[in-house]
Amino acid sequence: MSTLLDVRDLTVRFAMPRKGLFGPRPWLEAVRKVSFSLEKGHALGIVGESGSGKTTTAMAAIRLTEAAGGQVLFEGDDLLSLSDEQMRAHRRDVQLIFQDPYSSLNPRARVADIVREPLDLMDIGTPDDRRARVEELFKLVGLRPDQLNLFPHQFSGGQRQRISIARALTTNPKLLVCDEPVSALDVAIQAQILNLLAKLKSELGLSYLFISHDLGVVRHVCDDVAVMYLGQIVEHASRTALFESPQHPYTQALLSAAPSLARRKSKGYVRPLKISGDPPSPINPPPGCAFAERCPRARDICRKTPPVLEDRGPGRVACHVPGPADA
Amino acid sequence: MSALLAIEDLRVTFNTRYGQVTALDGVSLHVNAGETLGVVGESGCGKSITALATMGLIPMPPGRIAGGSIRLEGEELVGAAPARMRGLRGADIAMIFQEPMTSLNPVFTVGAQIAEAIMLHQKVSPDQAFKDAIALLDRVGIPSPDARARDYPHQLSGGMRQRVMIAMAVSCRPKVLIADEPTTALDVTVQAQIFDLLNEIQRDFGAAIILITHDMGAISEMADRVAVMYAGRVIEEAQADDVLDFPQHPYARGLIDCIPALGREDHALREIPGVVPPLHLLGAGCAFADRCEHTNARCKTEKPLLAAHGHHPAACHAVEEGRI
Amino acid sequence: MTDQTTQSSYKAESPALEAWRMFRRNIPALVGVALLAVIVGATLYGTFFYAGDPFEVVWAPHEPPGVTPDFPLGTDYLGRNLMAGMLTGGGPTLTVGAAAAAITMVIGITLGALAGYYGGWVDNLLMRITEFFQVLPALLFAMVLVTLFSPSLWTIAIAIGVVSWPQTARLTRAEFLKIKELEYVTAARAIGARNKRIIWRVILPNAMPPLIVSATLTIGVAILFEAGLSFLGLGDPNVMSWGLMIGANREYILDAWWPVTFPGLAIFFTVFAVSLIGDGLNDAFNPKLRER
Repeated sequence: MSTLLDVRDLTVRFAMPRKGLFGPRPWLEAVRKVSFSLEKGHALGIVGESGSGKTTTAMAAIRLTEAAGGQVLFEGDDLLSLSDEQMRAHRRDVQLIFQDPYSSLNPRARVADIVREPLDLMDIGTPDDRRARVEELFKLVGLRPDQLNLFPHQFSGGQRQRISIARALTTNPKLLVCDEPVSALDVAIQAQILNLLAKLKSELGLSYLFISHDLGVVRHVCDDVAVMYLGQIVEHASRTALFESPQHPYTQALLSAAPSLARRKSKGYVRPLKISGDPPSPINPPPGCAFAERCPRARDICRKTPPVLEDRGPGRVACHVPGPADA
Repeated sequence: MSALLAIEDLRVTFNTRYGQVTALDGVSLHVNAGETLGVVGESGCGKSITALATMGLIPMPPGRIAGGSIRLEGEELVGAAPARMRGLRGADIAMIFQEPMTSLNPVFTVGAQIAEAIMLHQKVSPDQAFKDAIALLDRVGIPSPDARARDYPHQLSGGMRQRVMIAMAVSCRPKVLIADEPTTALDVTVQAQIFDLLNEIQRDFGAAIILITHDMGAISEMADRVAVMYAGRVIEEAQADDVLDFPQHPYARGLIDCIPALGREDHALREIPGVVPPLHLLGAGCAFADRCEHTNARCKTEKPLLAAHGHHPAACHAVEEGRI
Repeated sequence: MTDQTTQSSYKAESPALEAWRMFRRNIPALVGVALLAVIVGATLYGTFFYAGDPFEVVWAPHEPPGVTPDFPLGTDYLGRNLMAGMLTGGGPTLTVGAAAAAITMVIGITLGALAGYYGGWVDNLLMRITEFFQVLPALLFAMVLVTLFSPSLWTIAIAIGVVSWPQTARLTRAEFLKIKELEYVTAARAIGARNKRIIWRVILPNAMPPLIVSATLTIGVAILFEAGLSFLGLGDPNVMSWGLMIGANREYILDAWWPVTFPGLAIFFTVFAVSLIGDGLNDAFNPKLRER
């Protein structure tokens, strides 16, 4: 098996408005030295709550957000050190699907043109080839050829997401970044899109970087899972390891917070692990572990020294006191 | 047993550019004191319209209550005087909305807004109302409530704002609390906190809760009883465990099999084909017929009624005829 | 295949043809076209049917309209033929209005688009320039320009364009700031579209609705501006225009209402027709309104 994407120490900073006219410009570190790798044909889920930096990480990895440091090796080439024109050439290999099927399609363009545009831009094939490719993609994602000339608003949310997927597949990419691809859809439609993504992965050998806040969805789609908290990966393991025996207390808290069909009010369940409060502000991150103030296991060292992501058992964990949740 | 809140055969129509459409087509629901009723369905199924009708908040026109009744402790709310509804709203029936940012007024402090809600229904001095507001903030788990009461909505996090909304809703100890997708805009760890808080409040105040959601996981954790809605009708209603473990209606089965929820991982995701039909295109038959694999000629011509055929009540000809 | 279409079949047409189909059904827009056609037709061909020199003194001053059949609109304070003035004055007025609006749109949209899209120092620089032009007293500045370069239709049009673009620039910038955050713009970058394409082919078409409305208003403002310059004696004195007629006769409005009213009505109906057409065009090119 070979590595498709190898992200090393990726860091993203956003400038905040200065305090006063000549005050120092505060920076918000949205992603702090994140490293992970993705095997060909695999799906890596990045989960986390809002503000965890999961979307920014993926966007920076494919250079749609500017990174402040680190490397992104895609089949050995560092995407971050390419010139803009070299990066354009790489765009055919890395594509993405967005969360909101309503704002991700240009309302003034016909869907056939939307799906064909990548071929036009990269000057691939003759006009007839391109038309044939668009029709083939329509069939692949479950749309009808007689819908080619419609405009985006004439489709339902699920169909729009199919169009978005068709556009992403036009250039035969190797990596597909899926940014919350089903969270804006009705539950009954989610299954249609998730099954389509699963089919495409096995039929086309695609690799996914799959961003989601929904642990159920991630568990269904992904081979490996990385959990992010305040701009850092706190745990990264195979799906089985992460869901069966989570090591980081935040992962455990997430799992116990996510609604589960196994917990019934009639059985008088008590949430096994409760955490209070909200994540701290990324503008002034705490000196130690970012999760320390909400963590039931926090000790002195947690508040002073930030833990590093280390191999532990089947995965990697960033915690001073890792281990299974207290019974 | 007479229920605390009983909705009988409620029909609500709207005038749209497609003509008159029936948004609620004979909805019957009830909830008892201390009980949580989960109302589940996709967007456009009529869950929120049911809630608004109960609150007396259907915009009329274009909406109209075309029939049926809503009784709170025996008192008829359909056609009640506007002044009477204002007296009930916020006092006996309260509602929590999905988006706590837009439900709060950005130019007043949260303490002042809760105090105002208290003074609307109780004869207390402004000072006392503000003190009560602080006590309520404390009750819903907001740390340092004295200071937070003087904050404006934008200074609070999403979870804190939803707690403020809950504090406002329970300020007059309502008998019925309607929560319309109360956690959709929140992160999961915060959602868990809000769910736990709603359960605690129910235990303390004995309120009936109507939880409107599209999330079967939330139903599992929160609801005693469940009503599944589709295209303006209740198509299945039973104890939560019965619906979750033995769904009868093909739509209810689909809803449970199509979600990749935790606690039920070992199954392939079953798709419900197609989309919810627009209300103006509903025909004479079952609204789900076009998406259902058990459809026969009768399904296309005759609307099924909610009745106990097998395990528990479902509105489906196929269940009635024992075909599934 | 699972989803159902909202509409079963749809014939492919060229976008222009489809827009025309939509436009054709818009009654107010058709009224606008008819009105503008009458106005433009009259200014282009009216002199074939009714010849006359608008500058020549031909009759007694302040002859009311409808009294002398030779001069159906009457005469002005010098006894000049108003009908001839209306017919020959329309061409220059419309030309100045359209040209000034075009100049305004080109400068405003270009600078606004660049400022909104690139942000940062580009935005800072362009917006400071915009503010500089915005705080200049427009009429005074136009007067200076017209006096520096002898008054002709073109210098007047350019002067009006140069003083009125900042509003369009601000409007364009605001639209770009809003639209560039939408996901379809990120999607265009993700498929390798260059900035030039994103600005002109992706964002601008979506930013057009308020800009079209603003352009129709600009035509009206430009026509009035021309009238103002003519009134101050800075118009081209050798060319009759509606503005010149209003400017020259304004002092005598209490003695005779007609020399001011007829060109005034002509300007009003022109602006009205153009805004009806602008609205119609905007709707016709908006795919969301098409299946109504």
